[in-house]
Amino acid sequence: MEHVVVAALNGLVVGASLALVAAGLALLFGVLGILNFAQGDFFMLGAYVVYFAVAGGLSFWLGVVAAGLVVGVVGGLGLMLMLWPLRERAHALVLLATLGLSLILEQLATNRFGADAKPMAAPIGARLAIGGTEYPVYDLLVVGAAIVILAGGYVFLRYVKYGIWLRAVAQNQRMASVLGVPVSRVYALAFVVSLGLAAVAGSLLAPLTSVYPTVGLDVNLNAFIVVIAGGLGNFRGAALLALVLGVVESLGSIVIPGQAVQLLVFALVILLLIVRSQRQQVLARL
Amino acid sequence: MLELRELHSFYGRSHVIQGISLRVGRGEGVGLIGHNGVGKTTTLKSIMGTGPRTRGRIVLEDRDLRGPAHARARRGLGFVPDSEAVFPEMTVEENIRTGAMLKRRGDHKRCLDTAYELFPVLAERRHQLGGTLSGGQQKMLSLARGLALEPRLIMVDEPSEGLMPINVDLIATALRRAVDSGIGVLVVDASFQLLKTVCSRVYVMKQGRITGEHELDDFATAERLVETYLREGS
Repeated sequence: MEHVVVAALNGLVVGASLALVAAGLALLFGVLGILNFAQGDFFMLGAYVVYFAVAGGLSFWLGVVAAGLVVGVVGGLGLMLMLWPLRERAHALVLLATLGLSLILEQLATNRFGADAKPMAAPIGARLAIGGTEYPVYDLLVVGAAIVILAGGYVFLRYVKYGIWLRAVAQNQRMASVLGVPVSRVYALAFVVSLGLAAVAGSLLAPLTSVYPTVGLDVNLNAFIVVIAGGLGNFRGAALLALVLGVVESLGSIVIPGQAVQLLVFALVILLLIVRSQRQQVLARL
Repeated sequence: MLELRELHSFYGRSHVIQGISLRVGRGEGVGLIGHNGVGKTTTLKSIMGTGPRTRGRIVLEDRDLRGPAHARARRGLGFVPDSEAVFPEMTVEENIRTGAMLKRRGDHKRCLDTAYELFPVLAERRHQLGGTLSGGQQKMLSLARGLALEPRLIMVDEPSEGLMPINVDLIATALRRAVDSGIGVLVVDASFQLLKTVCSRVYVMKQGRITGEHELDDFATAERLVETYLREGS
């Protein structure tokens, strides 16, 4: 019984961080039609920002905020500048550009910080008794923080001016522009929020995964799976599916050994894709 | 209010609008008529900045109109395209608020009230997704949203296309009210009933050029109007 509880909670932690990365990916695809292969590398940069912030004497939580802001603003605007000239060109060019950026960022991180994993202590060491076992409070906080951030994102998209404009641009960019929506500013916001979410996820998970140049690779692959299965451009679908997949994978690992549990995840994704294709859901539903 | 001076538009090397000049005054309804493919919609898109490359001058209230569409919208230019004008996955209310949010917070409700007053059916369906409305209701939504922003001048492309006569009446009445309240209206449409209600003048287009300008009062019947644009537009 304890195994199941721990596995379910572990799944929630993995799913919550995955949801942050996937929601960012979905947002960028929904608004701009861009699939960002470097999303996992901004997760990695977020982890490094919090690592060095803590090493430099800042509190962990300030480090998380700094990771979201620095990576979101600098990375987001930088990525926008890089991709802006390609926006009217073939999608393949954008994909290749982000893939290239991913390789560059990983290599730069390896050269600058080394390939070794840098362990990080969680800011809260306490444990909580749940279902006959003791579970780290910090891990639960990660889940809570991710849920709050994603719920905030949902409220933002539904009720806040720029959130509504993001959805409008995602659905009909030309009409949004005709109504006076500042489309380029909305694009910039999509980049900043998308990369900021990845960085926050990376920084929150740094104490659980350690910090190393390829820490974002696995997250990236899973985030892509989630975004495709949840409906490209579907912010809510991606976030919810990430949580579900995290829990399914973790619970499945109790009965299915090793990497074979991935088969369960892929089976679930394929099933979802079949259902989705039958329902012919539209894209860009944020 | 709006003046086109020798406007040319180009799709690549194709010279689609070939030096047209026209004028729409404050509180004036003006029609643009002609056969399919003569460049009416391209003219509206060129003015809005969502169309092809242009040359020539577009002047709104004595100032040149330049820049992207959103900058032109903020100058008080409205545009209601003939299709794909609503945000399909947003509710009726969100569709209206998308534009209204450019205004001060206190004005948002006024925009919604204006839209709902023009077309009460939108109020009944305020929580329905735009993409699930009927074609006629989508036309009403896009027009109401455009008018609720209180533009100085609004351009409307084929507002009566595919609508039942009762809905054409509603749309014509809404546009007439706009004209009466001082908004300039430039409308592309083939409905005599709508043109007669909204416009005092029409321009006839042929192959990217303006070939005639007429007072609507010159035409007692739709047949006379059609005769004229068949003569001048063919």
